[in-house]
Amino acid sequence: MSPLIRRISLVLLLGFILFVFITSISDFSTIYNDDGKLFYYANGFQDTGSYNYVTGIYLDYRLFDSLFEAAILLIAVAGVMLISEHSIDEKNATFMLDKQKTPELFITFSRLLYPIMLLFGIYVIVNGHLSPGGGFQGGAIVATAILILYYIDITKTVNVHVVLTIEKILFIVLVLTASLSYLTRGVLFTNFFRLDASLDQKAIFLTLMNILIGAKVSLGLVAIFTAFLKEGR
Amino acid sequence: MNPILSFIVILVGIYGLSVSKNIIKSVFCITIVEAGTILLFLNLGAYEGGVIPILSSLGIEIVDPIPQALMITTIVIGSTITSLALMLCIKIFHHYGSIEWKVILKGDK
Amino acid sequence: MVELFPVFFIFIPIFTGIIIYLVKNKHVTSIVFLSQLILAVLYGFYVYHYIQNPNVAYIVLGGWDDKFAITLKNDTLSLTFIGLSIFMWTSVLFYTYKTNRIYHKYLFFLMFLEGIFLAFLQTNDLFNLFIFLELITVLITILISYKKNGPSLKAAIYYLLLNTLGAMFFLIGIIILYYTYGSINISYLQENIGLHQNHQMVKLAYILMISGISVKSALFPLFTWLPKAHGVAYTSLSALLSGLLVKGGLYLFIRVHVYMFGYATYNMTEVFFYIGALTALVGVVLALVQKDLKQILAHHTISQIGLMMMGLSYGYGLSFTGGLMHIINHALFKSLLFLCAGLIIYEYKTKKIYAIRGVFRSMPITSIFLIIGMLSISGAPFFNGYVSKTLIKYSFKAEPFKMFLYTLVNVGTVTSFIKFSQILFGKKVDLEKRKDAKQFVSIFAIGLLCIGIGIFYKPIGSFIYGLDLSYVKLFDLKAWLDYIIYIGIGYILFKYYIDKDYKPVQVIRSFQMTFETANYLFIFYISSLSFILFYLL
Repeated sequence: MSPLIRRISLVLLLGFILFVFITSISDFSTIYNDDGKLFYYANGFQDTGSYNYVTGIYLDYRLFDSLFEAAILLIAVAGVMLISEHSIDEKNATFMLDKQKTPELFITFSRLLYPIMLLFGIYVIVNGHLSPGGGFQGGAIVATAILILYYIDITKTVNVHVVLTIEKILFIVLVLTASLSYLTRGVLFTNFFRLDASLDQKAIFLTLMNILIGAKVSLGLVAIFTAFLKEGR
Repeated sequence: MNPILSFIVILVGIYGLSVSKNIIKSVFCITIVEAGTILLFLNLGAYEGGVIPILSSLGIEIVDPIPQALMITTIVIGSTITSLALMLCIKIFHHYGSIEWKVILKGDK
Repeated sequence: MVELFPVFFIFIPIFTGIIIYLVKNKHVTSIVFLSQLILAVLYGFYVYHYIQNPNVAYIVLGGWDDKFAITLKNDTLSLTFIGLSIFMWTSVLFYTYKTNRIYHKYLFFLMFLEGIFLAFLQTNDLFNLFIFLELITVLITILISYKKNGPSLKAAIYYLLLNTLGAMFFLIGIIILYYTYGSINISYLQENIGLHQNHQMVKLAYILMISGISVKSALFPLFTWLPKAHGVAYTSLSALLSGLLVKGGLYLFIRVHVYMFGYATYNMTEVFFYIGALTALVGVVLALVQKDLKQILAHHTISQIGLMMMGLSYGYGLSFTGGLMHIINHALFKSLLFLCAGLIIYEYKTKKIYAIRGVFRSMPITSIFLIIGMLSISGAPFFNGYVSKTLIKYSFKAEPFKMFLYTLVNVGTVTSFIKFSQILFGKKVDLEKRKDAKQFVSIFAIGLLCIGIGIFYKPIGSFIYGLDLSYVKLFDLKAWLDYIIYIGIGYILFKYYIDKDYKPVQVIRSFQMTFETANYLFIFYISSLSFILFYLL
């Protein structure tokens, strides 16, 4: 059918779905249910030992989810490397930016920003259970900080195969740390200190998991970006 | 009002998917749909006067922490799918010489 | 300790895959067989304990209150699927081992897919299900594009974008359910869905979840990703995709529509029956006009999924059991056909059906198993296809229009396999054979199971499902007569119409659906389903 008829009918169908949604949501507050929020507000701090409720959820109540989130990053990095492989085996990646083309301003500012961003990223990772932050968020910041090196120095090479190997070993260590709780508490995939241990002891587990997840996420993102840069040569 | 706006963002993304003739535009529209979904989840639970879910000595009512934890996972999944799709687009360009759906689906007998 | 076996099912294949990737040695890859053996032994123990005490199958991870934590739950349905997956993966590994010993990355992704699929079958939490759905999508995309030639990349990106869209809609449904009930535990929702089920918001959540599931299980307007993806992959992967992973969508349909919401809640039985019938008819028409060996099998999968949906839409009784049995039987005989076709394509070095002749004289063992597969899929008595197809028609045997549709699908199936069997006739061709006994072991095991289920269906039915399957009779004269009439009609149809390759046949064959049209049909599907549910029912 002609494009104009198709677009008009598309807008009409989308309008119908929007109309259904608006009429359904007008009395949504009558069936709104608060049970989840009240449960976490009442028990979150005593059970997990973290001031930040969100960190308590993704590192203690739903640790199983976070393991597979780390797994999907692992798979995506391996897949992107596989698809972008050329027939010649090149272990090292070089940058495509030429020194003569990058302005001096970028290089100077990148030199200033690099240590500050790295420090900020590590702060966000380690303090995940006390203030907003955590492994995933801090990992993305550290990855951005490492990528700023691309602006500074074109002779820096990244050995991508070593990065992939370290990432897989980190995944195995992550799963084994999460399942250590079977030996001490009798249940799987939770904190390996007892339920009535002191706050500082529980915080050891949270910090350790945050550091592992942050390292894994940052290495994965650096590898993906390096693969894209290699393609552009 | 906010949930309805987030749903409109999702519908705009689907409209874009149905009329785009370029593969990269389709990938962008999937990103828009995913962003709209995250906004919808967070907006349905937010209300006037709620604070961030961190324990403090004041006894104010906090916002629900579950949507935020689930959406961290969704953002990571969305970014991995975008990177995989873009790498496939680059390889398709090397093989076929163009990134329009019509040229690619015409087949290569 | 027995409670932890579900977690072992998930992580043993994943760790095997990572070890194979890290240690790049040719001989270490034989630990895949060791891990499959460990999985089979653990599965045997687990089923034995489950029969004595069904409560062992529900575990809460972390020991928290089970309304708010992640739980894993097994019942008869998931245990059947787990057994089938372990068997299928072992057969595929036997088939593909000799050529793929050096492809460490291929084995890594394949074993990871096994671990994630076993986790997908066991989880009891909706958001966990969404994560596994996305993981399966990403893994299959990478495996399809492994060959890195033009058609593979095209099929991979089409598959990725369409399935991600479906999963996003599934997520919107989960969001609405969370804010209405406060929990995303499937068992909790199954007990308490009756509180708000007539509110419009819950009906909207139902529609969105069903549309996401329809993309994954390739129902009528949304099946266009399937022929591309299943036709261009490696043969071992095609057997696994057609046999098992597309049934993941149907497994989700059973969990969400039949168990969680309740099949009688919204009275959508007739709607799903007609969607299934339409899928089956369109699939069989498209399968009749193809020229490529693997494309015929891939299009035929669509029509068999339609047949399964015709049985599963009833939700209870013998038709539902027939649909479930057809899932298992279809996994067996479709993978048998794909593996035999892979052997034939390797020897003849071409895929066109008009260029291959004389298989019966040149490769006798392969052609015997090919004949077993073809007889099973068309529903001959003494093979397993007959059992499930007879059971499916139980609930509607009194309604003439539905029986007419069912007969059409069966005639189409028989015709397309008469076309497929053209390759058997002809003179002997000189071939250089590849000597690999392990491939014949896997084909032999699957073929034996096909015949076994076809003859011993009564003890299997009463042991697993607790139902009396004596409605299916092996020596029913009417059934034999029906089958012979189908062969006659199919032969006449084939000889005088399809073999001549008229103009309509060529038009249908070159039909390609663009990506924009697929999305347009997706919107049309959602709006028409919501119109039917809100205003007509």
